Amino acid sequence: MLNTMALIDRVQLELGAQEPWPKDAKLYQPYEVEQILLSDNANCLAVQAFLKMCNLDFVVEPRANAEAMSPSGKVPFLKAGAFVVSELEGIVSFVNNKGISLTEKFDQEAKSDMRAYMSLVHNVIEVAELYISWVDKETYNEVTSVRNGSIYPWPLNHIQNRAKRNQVIKKLKVLQWYKKSTKEVLEEVENCCQALSDRLEGKEYFFGTSCELDALLYGHVHTVLTNTKTVAMKKLADVIKKFNIITEHCRRIDEQFMRRSSCVYFG
Amino acid sequence: MGTVHAKADDRRNILGDTVENLSGNERQQDKRQEDIQWEGVRARVDKIHIDGLARTKDDIIEDCIRDLFKASDFQDVLLKAHRARLKLDELGCFKNISVYIDTSKGPNATPDGLEVTFNVKELKRLTGGISTHVGNNEGALLVGMKAPNILGRGERVQVEYTHGSKKTSNFNIGFVKPFRGRHRPVFTTSLFQAHSEWPTSGYKSIERGLLLDFAFHSSSLVKHNLQWSGDVRDFNCLSRSTSFDVREQSGLSLKSALRHILSMDLRDDLIFPTQGSLFELTSEFAGLGGDVGFIKNKFTFQSNYSVMEDIVFQGSLTGGVMTPTSPDMKISMADMFYLGGPLSVRGFQLRGVGPHSEGNALGSMCYWAAGLHLFAPLPFRPGRGGFGELFRTHLFVNAGNVGDFKLDDSNLLSTIQKNMRVSYGLGLALRLGNMARLEVNYCFPLTFDKGDHTQSGVQFGIGVKFL
Repeated sequence: MLNTMALIDRVQLELGAQEPWPKDAKLYQPYEVEQILLSDNANCLAVQAFLKMCNLDFVVEPRANAEAMSPSGKVPFLKAGAFVVSELEGIVSFVNNKGISLTEKFDQEAKSDMRAYMSLVHNVIEVAELYISWVDKETYNEVTSVRNGSIYPWPLNHIQNRAKRNQVIKKLKVLQWYKKSTKEVLEEVENCCQALSDRLEGKEYFFGTSCELDALLYGHVHTVLTNTKTVAMKKLADVIKKFNIITEHCRRIDEQFMRRSSCVYFG
Repeated sequence: MGTVHAKADDRRNILGDTVENLSGNERQQDKRQEDIQWEGVRARVDKIHIDGLARTKDDIIEDCIRDLFKASDFQDVLLKAHRARLKLDELGCFKNISVYIDTSKGPNATPDGLEVTFNVKELKRLTGGISTHVGNNEGALLVGMKAPNILGRGERVQVEYTHGSKKTSNFNIGFVKPFRGRHRPVFTTSLFQAHSEWPTSGYKSIERGLLLDFAFHSSSLVKHNLQWSGDVRDFNCLSRSTSFDVREQSGLSLKSALRHILSMDLRDDLIFPTQGSLFELTSEFAGLGGDVGFIKNKFTFQSNYSVMEDIVFQGSLTGGVMTPTSPDMKISMADMFYLGGPLSVRGFQLRGVGPHSEGNALGSMCYWAAGLHLFAPLPFRPGRGGFGELFRTHLFVNAGNVGDFKLDDSNLLSTIQKNMRVSYGLGLALRLGNMARLEVNYCFPLTFDKGDHTQSGVQFGIGVKFL
């Protein structure tokens, strides 16, 4: 029965693609002020930036249990009409299915380059954010555990923090990041930023016009630069600040699409 | 809460048998009244032997047999010996118990003296097994292990795992400690994990928690349970097409609740009673810590009357009300009331009555349901006295309603009658062991709401508690 249901889901998703963009699209994500964590914040911002680049209307709907509500278990997720789609990649292809695409005019090479850079951001900057949030003791105790546990009553908050931490550490072990020192992690981020900065040099956006890669990088850079509560978080921000081209790119998206001032980065 | 699982209530069985046996004895007595006047035979118990005790402690045995010394005539001895046997059996320490009564011999014997010997066989230190049992509308496989009487006073530790045909699975480790005393108090503590799936509501849930239960009798037939349970519930959507209203409830919640269950069962049989009533009242307060908060009251009443020989009229009424305690506390769909299905209002699909969102049943804060049944044996009585007694035919009318009724509403009666659902039908019921009932019914839903999911025609139900 479940298999047929999954098939029906897929068929419905395909059919739904032909409908126009609904007026009541909502983006569900955790509470930004008291709950959201570094990497989740980055991913939510990236989707927001992407939707704004596409000029699509949506409302951000904060929910404490957004992560549990999401079909993939990850935030953010989009509810458009009867459809529920999660994470940047899923949302991008959902939007593409409606005939809206930022990469229409890109050639094959640019498309595959874009995908490679996106996975670079996912595999380095996002993992570094997870490392700082869950492995760095100061950040875990002062920021991550407080925020992650804020939505649960005692003693569930402690149980959940522990469970989530074990889950993230398991992931980091698989990626062979768990044994790295903070210094090594920051070096990885620096190398990644160097590569991105080289590609971006002399251009406003990676491939001329804005695309999902720009949105993704913006989400991460903006999040890291605006969250500097602990020493490790500050160090991570300092690494990115070394690359003028990247902070400039972030400021450009802020002003052009997000319509907010970005003095926070340098204040 | 999860599935209610049924097990044969051995105690009841024995009680039932006893009543029959005793009345049988009396009849026999009448016949032979000229020969022996039981009441006239003076007797006194000099000695009681208990053979076969190993690890069971003496004090709990003494409690069981003390009354026997007070017997003054032979009939009294017989009755009290029987009662003592029942009490010994209730301890749950022995496999089988037999009673021998003999005249007292030896230097200290009195003229009317008797010696009573109880031959008991203790249960092994560890028992276990695999069995099947029936929960509410599903069959289940049960793997269990039990260490009975571990400390010598009826304490037991049990581990159970059940896997149901509808993808439910339960794991349970429990410790049971009976106490001595007039009110027969029993303390139970258990750690549990229960997994269940509800396709009609589009969700699945995993509950893990701790249950403390204190049971006692305020009179011989009125049983109370005081419970505290703390459990973490993981609530998830079953599929992508699950209604968004259900999806919004996803996530973890912690429920800490106090419960009082009062039950009084005066029926003469669990499955096909011919007379007697059942009354059950459950009051629950959730919100003692945790983030789930409500007050919930629920009652069940069932009454049976023998109209003619073998024809039984049964009426039942059940209802419940839930009220939120504070706006900060959640009320999960798993706690709400649902109506409809072969065990509830027949002629509707499982949870088919009441509000739905995209096909998923959402649950309500109040409900009531009533049922009238006329049970009769199979026509022409094939297999009379044997196989045929496992079956009953029945005609039924069910009615019920759900909604968010306000108890202080002046038009309460008309509110709860509005949109009342009624169905009727006829069917065949089958007794499965002494613990469950199987029904095949042909149902006709008579009045229903637009959003209801009806099921007219053949409906199949298996379970323990039927409306």
